[in-house]
Amino acid sequence: MNGELYLAIHAAEFPAQALLRLRPELRSQPVAVLDGPALQQTVCALNRKARSCGAAHGMTRLEAEAVAGLQLIPRSLAEEAQARAILLECAAQFSPRIEETSRGTACSFVLDGTGSERLFGPVDAMAEKVRRAAANAGFRISVAASANFHAARLKAAFSPGMTILPRGEESRALEKLQLSALNLGAEQAETFSMWGIRTLGQLAALPEDSLVARFGPEASLWRALAAGAAAHSFQPIEPVVALREFCEFDSPIEEIDSLLFIAARMIDALVARVAQRALAVASLAIEMNLEGNQRHHLSLRPAVPTIDRKFLLKLLHLEAAAHPPQAAVLSLAIEADAGPTSKVQLGLFAPQTPEPSSLDVTLARLRAIVGDDRVGAPELEDTHRPQSFQLRALHTADSKGTTAKQEVRIALRRVRPLRTVHMALNGARPAAFHDEGKRYSVASAYGPWRSSGCWWSQDAWDSEEWDVLTTDVSGATLGCLLVRDRLHNAWRLEAYFD
Amino acid sequence: MPTAAALRLQIERSLEARFPAALTPAPRTIRETAPTGIAVVDELLEGGFPVGAISEIAGPACSGRTSLALAFLAGRTAEERFCAWVDAEDAFDPESAAAIGVRLSQLLWVRCGGAKKSAKSWTRLEQSLKATDLLLQAGGFAAIVLDLSGIDPAEGMRIPLATWFRFRQAAERTRCPLVALARASYAQSSAAVVLDAEPMRAEVLGGTVLHAGAFRLRRRRQRFQQPWNGARKPPASTWTAGTQWTVERSA
Repeated sequence: MNGELYLAIHAAEFPAQALLRLRPELRSQPVAVLDGPALQQTVCALNRKARSCGAAHGMTRLEAEAVAGLQLIPRSLAEEAQARAILLECAAQFSPRIEETSRGTACSFVLDGTGSERLFGPVDAMAEKVRRAAANAGFRISVAASANFHAARLKAAFSPGMTILPRGEESRALEKLQLSALNLGAEQAETFSMWGIRTLGQLAALPEDSLVARFGPEASLWRALAAGAAAHSFQPIEPVVALREFCEFDSPIEEIDSLLFIAARMIDALVARVAQRALAVASLAIEMNLEGNQRHHLSLRPAVPTIDRKFLLKLLHLEAAAHPPQAAVLSLAIEADAGPTSKVQLGLFAPQTPEPSSLDVTLARLRAIVGDDRVGAPELEDTHRPQSFQLRALHTADSKGTTAKQEVRIALRRVRPLRTVHMALNGARPAAFHDEGKRYSVASAYGPWRSSGCWWSQDAWDSEEWDVLTTDVSGATLGCLLVRDRLHNAWRLEAYFD
Repeated sequence: MPTAAALRLQIERSLEARFPAALTPAPRTIRETAPTGIAVVDELLEGGFPVGAISEIAGPACSGRTSLALAFLAGRTAEERFCAWVDAEDAFDPESAAAIGVRLSQLLWVRCGGAKKSAKSWTRLEQSLKATDLLLQAGGFAAIVLDLSGIDPAEGMRIPLATWFRFRQAAERTRCPLVALARASYAQSSAAVVLDAEPMRAEVLGGTVLHAGAFRLRRRRQRFQQPWNGARKPPASTWTAGTQWTVERSA
């Protein structure tokens, strides 16, 4: 097919499709979506099984509940908006020029596929690829390809499946469509009905001059639409890429496992979308709406961007177990931040290091055991204050540090929390002290070594340190570091030499 | 005239009924070791701590266990490797470690005993054993130090031998030396090396400054000991460690 080419995609019953996308267990059951105020809800969308069970659009809630086995789900506009964005993203894989043609509860787009045969192959192959991409994203769509914009749009909307309209045969392809496809006003529809005009083929066969004389200039457009020859000025929309998945639950969820069941599908969908762009998931932000109008946030940031869904799910599991929501969850939103896929140059002689994704899971498990702020790589702070350090995340990319000079020195073992001891002095020097019920005699004391700082703030310290060799009642020798807090005149046991 | 190889083959064949491969030396497995960074201790251990095995340093407080373990980690991290310190007592001092030469950015410090607000509340010992198990199973660490120095020996003795056996298997599989610091030896037959550390003997400079500490180590057990080669290996060694200020002053 040379020249212009338009591919129309049409997702019918979109409220139902949007809800069933993340609930595959319901796809094999009859499902109807209810819309409207609480006491006036009516069925606005339903799946094929529901239709075969006798459900229909416009049924009231009571009527729908009378249908055996029919699952009723309230409409979620937020999930529909999310699903629309994802369908648009699917379409954007095939063309940068997309126009939205949604009407009613359907979601429709027309893609300008002109000149894309070289990328995606013949028209039928391209249409099949579009259909498969949408199916992978969880949508059931009909596709129509034509050289005429409106012909493709009408055919996709009213003919399920995949249709290729040969160039020049648009009129014949549309002739059997009902006149209601043109969305005429009630008065015009009634007039055509009185004339016995029921299909587009019959309308296209009418003389244009006579139609214009009776209905006005717009009749010319109707006839052109019916004949598949209407001109169109393409108005492309700009797809906004938001790597976000949202799911509103029918009933509040309390169990983390149930929540993860849904989250797994959302992560799957996000990973698939990220991978399509040859990227990886750099971070995940999870937001939960809880009962009582509360919100709960979780954040996952793997050491390296990844597309391993099992790994991401494991991280989420550990994070959710460590920080569980404090109330039942009403809705779940997961937003991904994409990053470049990690490239690691391995070497035969490179030292063995922990595998980043495995390390992430291990660290998360360790945090679950000992606490969030108690695992990491220590980092000394730029101060003379004793014991000034912070724990930061361990990164395997940090193996190229500067080599410190290695010295054989006596290490200290800190006493945490600091213990206040009752000190007996000999003049100003320590002579003996009691600690945890034991009496220690000071054999030798070296000091005092004074330090102070931050005198201008509330964090001021002023202390004198003593290196002390002691003996207890059993005669065992112990080397320790005793500190006198000069601000509070208190003696503390700070560390042991070991 | 038959060659030496042919003669050897002939002799071996004639004796093989009584002595299989009589003239061929038995193959010797060379065990990989990681140097501790202290020459006399390396000599005592015939190269250092065995890689892929459990080593225990048992001794009272002030017996140089921490200094020896940090010296070992300094050498491992200098090779751009990652190490872990599982701290049951929360007594690790990052300043000392940095002064000894440990690259802190390559050291994972697990501080056990944190206030854990969950249904499962574990003791420090349980936390440290679980953390060690996770780290050993994860692999990739060049050394793991399990610091049980603050644990009462009566409690430490109750660590099931199956736990140590699992640690030994995991350490062997991941080629990771596991060094346990404790007041007594707990791992029994699972430990490849057991060192007994004796209390510090202080050296004083001019009567006013603590100058250095001398530590004595005795090798109680070494599973992969090389066969006796004529030279008598010392069963014990004494090593000296300076204090931070005296090392700085001498530099």
